[in-house]
Amino acid sequence: MVAKESFRRVGACSWELAKSYDERMQAPARIYAGEVLFERAFGDRSVEQLVNVAMLPGLVKYAMAMPDMHQGYGFPIGGVAAFDYDKGIISPGGVGYDINCGVRMLTSQMDYEDVAPHLDALATELYRRCPSGVGGSGAVSLSWGELNAVLDGGSGWALKYGYATAGDVARTESAGCLPRAQSAAVPDRAKARGRGQLGSLGSGNHFLEVDVVDAVYDATTADIYGLRVGQVVVQIHCGSRGLGHEVCTQSLRQLQDAPRRYGIPIPDRELVAAPVGSPEGQAYLAAMAAAANYAFANRQVLAHFVRLAFEEILAGKVPDWHLDQLYDVTHNIAKVEDHTVDGMQMRLVVHRKGATRAFPAGRPELPAVYRTTGQPVLVPGSMGTHSYVLAAEPASLELTLGSSCHGAGRTMSRRAATRAVRGESVRAQLKEQGVAVRAKSMRRLAEEAPFAYKDVSLVVESVVGAGIARKVARVRPLAVIKG
Amino acid sequence: MGRWQELDHTADLALHVWGGDLKDLFVAAATGMFSLLAEAAPAGAPVRFELHLTALDAESLLVDWLNELLYLCTTEDVVGTEFLFTVLTPTELHAEVVGLPAGERRAGIKAATYHMLAVVAVEAGYETEIVFDA
Repeated sequence: MVAKESFRRVGACSWELAKSYDERMQAPARIYAGEVLFERAFGDRSVEQLVNVAMLPGLVKYAMAMPDMHQGYGFPIGGVAAFDYDKGIISPGGVGYDINCGVRMLTSQMDYEDVAPHLDALATELYRRCPSGVGGSGAVSLSWGELNAVLDGGSGWALKYGYATAGDVARTESAGCLPRAQSAAVPDRAKARGRGQLGSLGSGNHFLEVDVVDAVYDATTADIYGLRVGQVVVQIHCGSRGLGHEVCTQSLRQLQDAPRRYGIPIPDRELVAAPVGSPEGQAYLAAMAAAANYAFANRQVLAHFVRLAFEEILAGKVPDWHLDQLYDVTHNIAKVEDHTVDGMQMRLVVHRKGATRAFPAGRPELPAVYRTTGQPVLVPGSMGTHSYVLAAEPASLELTLGSSCHGAGRTMSRRAATRAVRGESVRAQLKEQGVAVRAKSMRRLAEEAPFAYKDVSLVVESVVGAGIARKVARVRPLAVIKG
Repeated sequence: MGRWQELDHTADLALHVWGGDLKDLFVAAATGMFSLLAEAAPAGAPVRFELHLTALDAESLLVDWLNELLYLCTTEDVVGTEFLFTVLTPTELHAEVVGLPAGERRAGIKAATYHMLAVVAVEAGYETEIVFDA
């Protein structure tokens, strides 16, 4: 077990474990967190998992963990690790099974008062139009040919078929399409699972939420983001469904022998890896990117059905019910990015496992509208609590290679949560707080009870304290749709 | 007879599994996984599947076994109730699986992981801990 005394404080909200801690470490390990969350990180195995990541070859800068870190399998959740494109590795365990799980926020022109009388009807319509639950079919069924077009085109496919606007696509990370995607690299079995699930939320911590902006911290940026106090917004949190799970499972299986063949020492078999440039590394990159495109299209199709639900319930009752896209971020991904490291330009493969990209003003990857503010970083809280919109700060590139937290982060197991509370009482409590809930499973509601998560405001204050991002706005939920 | 016990895990699901031999261990791991997933529906006709798997070692075979069962469960909407092995070595298995239609789902499991996985020989047979991405 790693002791917290082994870490040295290197900033207000940053802590470092020297490379000398274990001779197998290729670089130091860093945790970005305030004191409370830093201490709590030692309550499970997440710090050990971070040290394991620091042992992977070609690691650049540090193995990093964001303040919402918690125990995962392989990488800790909230883990970020970048590897030299030429000399480093790529690891499916650094992305996980839900490839391109991410969050999208839509903004409206409506105030809370406009929507309040219709909230229950809206929640019911959203639940009806946006399928959820374990397994669960999606709103759209695809032929094999169309599925390949989704895998190769991502949000571009959705635009072609009327599920997206050009503005949506522009305001999606990587414009909703990773260029290295190859549908041919995705196993048939993954495709078989994905054909019927496009436009579905899934289960677990995935959700669809109607929120109201209840605080603005940075008026100038909020104005550019199109956010103001009292305004109704929507969040969608989901990923690549069974298709992504199957891509990860098959890739891990295929890579089991790669560490031996390439002489890559790994401390944990979930961290199997191949050199980025090897046939195995490139095959994973192509399949993972295709699954990521499926996830971008999935959130886009869901956004379309959210718009239809708003139209169905609110048309004629409010002056303007249309929804614009603020941004869509991915938080389980490996991306090829160019960064300056110790004054040198480097091409890296940045793994973010439960971490969001946070590119500041000036990065060419950002859509023109956000090039002066930095990208929106969407940080959903636990069910029934606040969520935040942050803006990436310039220091994020140096500190975390442009990465931030992705949410509140669990602190209690699902099992402990279901022992502590019943789903029905979670729903009743939320109703008391004025939150309409539609859920497929009461057990899931209990598992996702707010007390099973860290306080999202502590996570956000850590990110702000570290200098990674600044607060722009805060939202609170009005209606929650869960699987 | 093998046995299993659920372990606490912050974000996911985990099982400690014991077996007198590999067969017991594989049956207990499968039974444990299905107990996390769903109950069998009160009525329904049994479905039979055959599985043939080869892997590098016992750990890989165990993960493959569980993920194959998970795939069947997800695509056919069944829970496995009987597991009969005609061949089971650390690198190969031939099995017949009997499934019943799934009832209410308890959890969504994305996959059985390789996280820190080791099938350990002990005096009473074998034991291991498996983490599932949930």
